[in-house]
Amino acid sequence: MKRSADCVIIGGGIIGTSVAYYLAKSGMTDVVVLEADYLASGGTGRCGGGIRQQWSTEPNARLAMESVRIFTTLEEELGEDIEFLQGGYLVLAYTDEDVEQFEKNVALQRGLGLDVEILTPDEIRARVVAQLNTERVKMATYCSKDASANPFLATRAYAAAAKRLGVEVELFTPVRRILAENGRITGVETDRGVISTPRVINAAGSHSVPLAETVGVELPIKPYRREILVTEPLERFFDPMIISFSFGVYFRQVQHGSIIGGFAYPDEQPGFNQTSSVDFLTTMSKKLAYLMPVLEDVKVVRQWAGLYDVTPDAQPIIGETDGVDGFFQASGFSGHGFMIAPMVSTLLSQIVLGETPALDVERLNLRRFEGDIDLDHSVV
Amino acid sequence: MRITEHPILTFDRGRELAFEFDGHPLKGYEGETIAAALHANDVRVLRESPELHRPRGFFCAIGRCSSCLMTVNGVPNVMTCITPLREGMRIETQRGKGALAVSDGSAPRIRPNEQSRESDELPVVPLVVVGGGPAGLSAAAAAARFGIETVIVDENDVAGGQLIKQTHMFFGSREHYARVRGVDIGSKLIGNLEELPVRMMLGTTVLGLYQDRTVSLLAGDRHLALRAESVVLATGASENMLAFENGDLPGVYGAGAVQTLMNVHGVTPGERVLMIGAGNIGLIVAYQLLQAGVEVAAVIDAAPEIGGYHVHAAKIRRAGVPILTSHTILKVSGSDRVNSAEIAAVDTSWQPVPGSEQTLDVDTVCLAVGLTPNCELAFQSGCRQTYVPYLGGPVAVHGRDLETTVDGVFIAGDASGIEEASTAMLEGRLAGLAVAQRLAGESHGAEIARLTTETREGLDALRAGPFGEKPRLGKEHMFEIHRDLREAGE
Ligand SMILES: Cc1cc2nc3c(=O)[nH]c(=O)nc-3n(C[C@H](O)[C@H](O)[C@H](O)COP(=O)(O)OP(=O)(O)OC[C@H]3O[C@@H](n4cnc5c(N)ncnc54)[C@H](O)[C@@H]3O)c2cc1C
Ligand SMILES: Cc1cc2nc3c(=O)[nH]c(=O)nc-3n(C[C@H](O)[C@H](O)[C@H](O)COP(=O)(O)OP(=O)(O)OC[C@H]3O[C@@H](n4cnc5c(N)ncnc54)[C@H](O)[C@@H]3O)c2cc1C
Repeated sequence: MKRSADCVIIGGGIIGTSVAYYLAKSGMTDVVVLEADYLASGGTGRCGGGIRQQWSTEPNARLAMESVRIFTTLEEELGEDIEFLQGGYLVLAYTDEDVEQFEKNVALQRGLGLDVEILTPDEIRARVVAQLNTERVKMATYCSKDASANPFLATRAYAAAAKRLGVEVELFTPVRRILAENGRITGVETDRGVISTPRVINAAGSHSVPLAETVGVELPIKPYRREILVTEPLERFFDPMIISFSFGVYFRQVQHGSIIGGFAYPDEQPGFNQTSSVDFLTTMSKKLAYLMPVLEDVKVVRQWAGLYDVTPDAQPIIGETDGVDGFFQASGFSGHGFMIAPMVSTLLSQIVLGETPALDVERLNLRRFEGDIDLDHSVV
Repeated sequence: MRITEHPILTFDRGRELAFEFDGHPLKGYEGETIAAALHANDVRVLRESPELHRPRGFFCAIGRCSSCLMTVNGVPNVMTCITPLREGMRIETQRGKGALAVSDGSAPRIRPNEQSRESDELPVVPLVVVGGGPAGLSAAAAAARFGIETVIVDENDVAGGQLIKQTHMFFGSREHYARVRGVDIGSKLIGNLEELPVRMMLGTTVLGLYQDRTVSLLAGDRHLALRAESVVLATGASENMLAFENGDLPGVYGAGAVQTLMNVHGVTPGERVLMIGAGNIGLIVAYQLLQAGVEVAAVIDAAPEIGGYHVHAAKIRRAGVPILTSHTILKVSGSDRVNSAEIAAVDTSWQPVPGSEQTLDVDTVCLAVGLTPNCELAFQSGCRQTYVPYLGGPVAVHGRDLETTVDGVFIAGDASGIEEASTAMLEGRLAGLAVAQRLAGESHGAEIARLTTETREGLDALRAGPFGEKPRLGKEHMFEIHRDLREAGE
């Protein structure tokens, strides 16, 4: 392991590995990624792999659209299959409020140049998924250019490409604390010794909070357990990610044929608990069998849980930290860090290199939480 | 072929059932699994592998390996090695991953409940024993004797675990049922539970062991959950696979699968068998094959010495079966089933010796190359795991009282490390006593302590001989790890 570097990245998830790649691509190659466990062992390897551009606010939609633009040529760029597929996202409306909100969203999204359609229940079955039970569904929005990818393969591909450019990736190397003197980053202390560096990128998901504390920085991020399951593989029969906020569900069929999906308990309490529950197994199975009755006899083969790193406004914290020069944050992704990783990491690499970021991300800086904050609830 | 005459077993076949296989009418019997009925009708290819389209038959016959998935009544991915045959079933060779029937647009039968958690109102059971083999049955008896209400769950329709397939007389001391046939030991252990507060849930699989010892169960089509105050995992072991060319051809079966087919369903696995592995299981199953009228071409083992008891080896040698030590299998050949196997001698570094190859004319290769403990449930519930080769590989860390690192979760028998039925019974009893101490220790402490000491002595005695050396060392190593974790406060 190196004893010094231009930049140390804490976390080998999709964010840590992609920032490493974009830094190296722009010329900063003396970079070390430190991962406490194995690659994608955190939220990334536990996630649904959905990539949605249909967002309700312009900044979120732009970040996602730019990310999809990068994703479409990423396999070529990184030289590996990441199972990227533009199979679309079908967003189901069950209530009048849903319908009202979705109509606004579609107007905004179309204004940004996103090709989004509004479908009736009959159109959904005729054009997108014949097997979907549309009982009680009022309408759906559908963007055929929304996508999905395999988070393990994507993380692996970014890490491999970064390594080819000279980045070191150290697995099973937890960072114990970050070192700073006189308001400047000086290094990190790991289980395997100290690395001195003027720059640290904190991309450790929910674990970014205790790490930041070691240099007196408080991150308003709370971990929330999110459960998910996967079925046995079947011949592929539908392409889109199907989601509903009011029904509480998301699911898709991965390229291997398994159906993967989950929902969030509204009453989940914050904490680092990552165990699975039997209640989730039964409730999610029933949801799937209801929405797609042909799945009734299909077997669930695994269930697991991961953590959402949630901020008060459900937006990530990106950028340099006031008071600690050289300390960059990249966490708080609040459940949608995979889909925006390519663009967020590109922007962060530009900030680290002292360039002007291609999109304005000032609104994502930690300092937005200082004083009275006007929370913009752009969760969806 | 169906066995009609057997020196020890009689097969009471149930009602004759008519079913359809790829459009052809066939006959089987009530009580058989789909895979057994097909095998009796000389059907060996059950599916095509999804990517390379290779023919696949069954391998484990206990619902573990997924080699036997077929489409039954239109439903893909049915594990035919454990699914009972029913009148009029439509059974199809599965090609690819299995396609779902096109939806007919009818209303869904299942509706999700509101987003409230069910787990707060689960029924509470003092002791759940997973697995009804010798370990599980003994654990239940030991605990229930002290009034602890116990539920034994086993995925099979009969209790007894591996014992129900053992037609030979067991080894060990008299008090541990030596010279009694395995099948009869099972019945005795079940008999011991009479009058005790024990309920059996047979044909029921434990799917998961969650936080707070929440147990999730599948009984036929019904899913249910309950909360256990203590759990004994006595889930036994799974057969190891060996990698060689064409090793996935139908006709390459695990020894347990061959036993199930032959001794439970009365169906022979083939006409001429090559047995891989000269440990006790390989030797015993080779003898059972001879009893069922099947020819055994040879028993081979890569080790320079026979691993099993010499009495077992002598029996099959007397029957004219060669036992070739320092030999391995290189490959099997055949288009959609095994029709020959190539073996070769190995040198002292276990490498095949060029020029020593010979081809055996066999239609079945039986693998008896060791077992791996079934400890998935322990790992899911959060038990610390470690790797101890002498115990069969990955195992849940446990102490002398068989308690894992998760409070109230115990593990016993082959699941805690591969040994024998005799040690499984004593470990089961120790685990049951530890549960008794936990739940009824206040009123019965002295008696529990006395029985515990006695059982521990018995276990030490069984492990004292030369055959007990590996598990003894493995267990000692395990107890050290457990002690270290305890001392570190974990
Ligand atoms: C069930 C579930 C479903 C999801 N579905 C989607 C989806 O469909 N689409 C989407 O875009 N997002 C989804 N998400 C969110 C997404 O997974 C995350 O936002 C994203 O993966 C975050 O990536 P990351 O690299 O920031 O964090 P992580 O992947 O959590 O990476 C952080 C890494 O830091 C390491 N680490 C922690 N502490 C230390 C330390 N002290 N030293 C060294 N390393 C350390 C961890 O081991 C971990 O590997 C989902 C999340 C969950 C849990
Ligand atoms: C051919 C052969 C010969 C042998 N000869 C001898 C001998 O001479 N002497 C001797 O002492 N030993 C012998 N043994 C070994 C002995 O049979 C095993 O060591 C013993 O059966 C282990 O007992 P157990 O209770 O731990 O597991 P098992 O007998 O394997 O029982 C485990 C039970 O748990 C069930 N189960 C597993 N998972 C689940 C789940 N999730 N839900 C519900 N049920 C589950 C299984 O279906 C099974 O019924 C022999 C074994 C074989 C294969």
